[in-house]
Amino acid sequence: MAESEGNDAQNGTSGGQYVGPRAIDPVQEHSHDDDPDFITRTRFLSGVAIAGGAVLSAAILVPIVGFAVTDSVKNPPNQWVDVGSVSNFPEGQTTSLAVSGQSEWSDARVFLRNKDAQLIAIWNRCSHLGCPVEYFAGGDNFVCPCHGSAFNSLGLVTAGPAPRPLDRFNIKVVDSTGKSVGGVGLVHGSWSTNVISPTNRVLIGSAFSITPSQTAVRLHDPGEPVTGVLSNLYPF
Amino acid sequence: MSSTDIGPKGPAGQAQEAAVEYVENRTGAKTGLTWFLKRNIPSETSWFQTLGFAAMAVFGLQAVTGIVLAMYYKPDPTTAYSSIQHITNDVTWGWLVRGMHKWGASAMIILVFLHMARVFIFGSYKYPRELTWVTGAILLIMVMFMGLTGYLLVWDQRAYWATVVAMNITASAPIIGPYIADVLRAGSQFNPDSLARFYAIHMLVIPGGIATFIGLHLFLVSKLGISEPPWSKRASRARRAEEAAARAAAREPQGRREVLVEPAPHTLTVEAGQ
Repeated sequence: MAESEGNDAQNGTSGGQYVGPRAIDPVQEHSHDDDPDFITRTRFLSGVAIAGGAVLSAAILVPIVGFAVTDSVKNPPNQWVDVGSVSNFPEGQTTSLAVSGQSEWSDARVFLRNKDAQLIAIWNRCSHLGCPVEYFAGGDNFVCPCHGSAFNSLGLVTAGPAPRPLDRFNIKVVDSTGKSVGGVGLVHGSWSTNVISPTNRVLIGSAFSITPSQTAVRLHDPGEPVTGVLSNLYPF
Repeated sequence: MSSTDIGPKGPAGQAQEAAVEYVENRTGAKTGLTWFLKRNIPSETSWFQTLGFAAMAVFGLQAVTGIVLAMYYKPDPTTAYSSIQHITNDVTWGWLVRGMHKWGASAMIILVFLHMARVFIFGSYKYPRELTWVTGAILLIMVMFMGLTGYLLVWDQRAYWATVVAMNITASAPIIGPYIADVLRAGSQFNPDSLARFYAIHMLVIPGGIATFIGLHLFLVSKLGISEPPWSKRASRARRAEEAAARAAAREPQGRREVLVEPAPHTLTVEAGQ
């Protein structure tokens, strides 16, 4: 107090300002409010509030997004489904089977083709945009009702916009004890009929895609080419 | 008191005025509404500038009819189609409300595109209204998404296979396409969860987004004002005056330029030399 009064006395009465004693000593404090590099208490507490809000938001959003998304992008588990004995799929014929499971309205089917001494399972999902292709026994070919893609007996493209052959299912033939008989056939996922007997059971597994030369690749979505430059657009 | 005046306000009028003042003093609602609705607009507005409001009105129609349709619709693969048959054939005026929602959807798509064409042809997307255009483009995407997700809910053969194809088109987008499609249909194939997911997106996710962006869009429209057509009389006068100024400047680069400029219209300040 004494010091400030002394200052007032020194300043005199310049400019008509009040120079008497003051109730509160106006201590000149340097303010950092204008200094953007200085962390004031206000700035620190604002940062704490923002960081805390971010943590709490993440605590809510992470479970929500994980719940909504994770199971959708997970690959379905591989399971073998018994579709009957070998005698159900006579030599020289392509047999249509519904494999929709609980989605019976989805019209998902497998065409079991027993020809040329091999058993293959062709998926009816068109490789263009996923419509159900139909099998015509007369022409021994598959035709899609949506955009007119046509496929030959092996599911290889013969006409239309489809970018790759029809996808196939893995296939396995087992005897009555559940033991796999013989080896796989000439093409991945096919089964040579030379080693199997009519009482063996046929099992359908997970699906895969094939190239025009019938080389197996991982399952692709419809519309994705598996050969050529454009196949690089779908790396996963 | 002039001869057309009726007289001082009665008690009912005074009570109404007091109520408005009460709300105004506590919310500023009257000031806000005046700011929003009583704006100056160009003299040459036309019916073309009503298309945006028309689209918004149809959104309101879709929201209201959608809410009541949801009271009867069952988003489950086994019951969806029969619940729609029930709405159409059994519920009183169900055919009408469903028809309003169905035709309103088409009307909304048409109105949104007409509105966009108007904005484009009038050049209304230009400075300072670029972000109004951007929010409108986001609204367009959401409206198209409403059309896509709503189409599946009918759950007949056409709806199902059209959506299968649409999802596979989505999946054929490079790199992230397959993931987007998987998330939308709740798996790599259509499955019993897909319909419920489309229903939730159609009912809850997108409408919230559309309402939010309509708010932003309207705020920007109100803040920036609407633009006049580029062929309006005022714009033509301005253009002519600018051309005259340019001609005058070319004739006499320095000096008595302003004298040569045609008298500027009262709405326009021509700064000679620009």
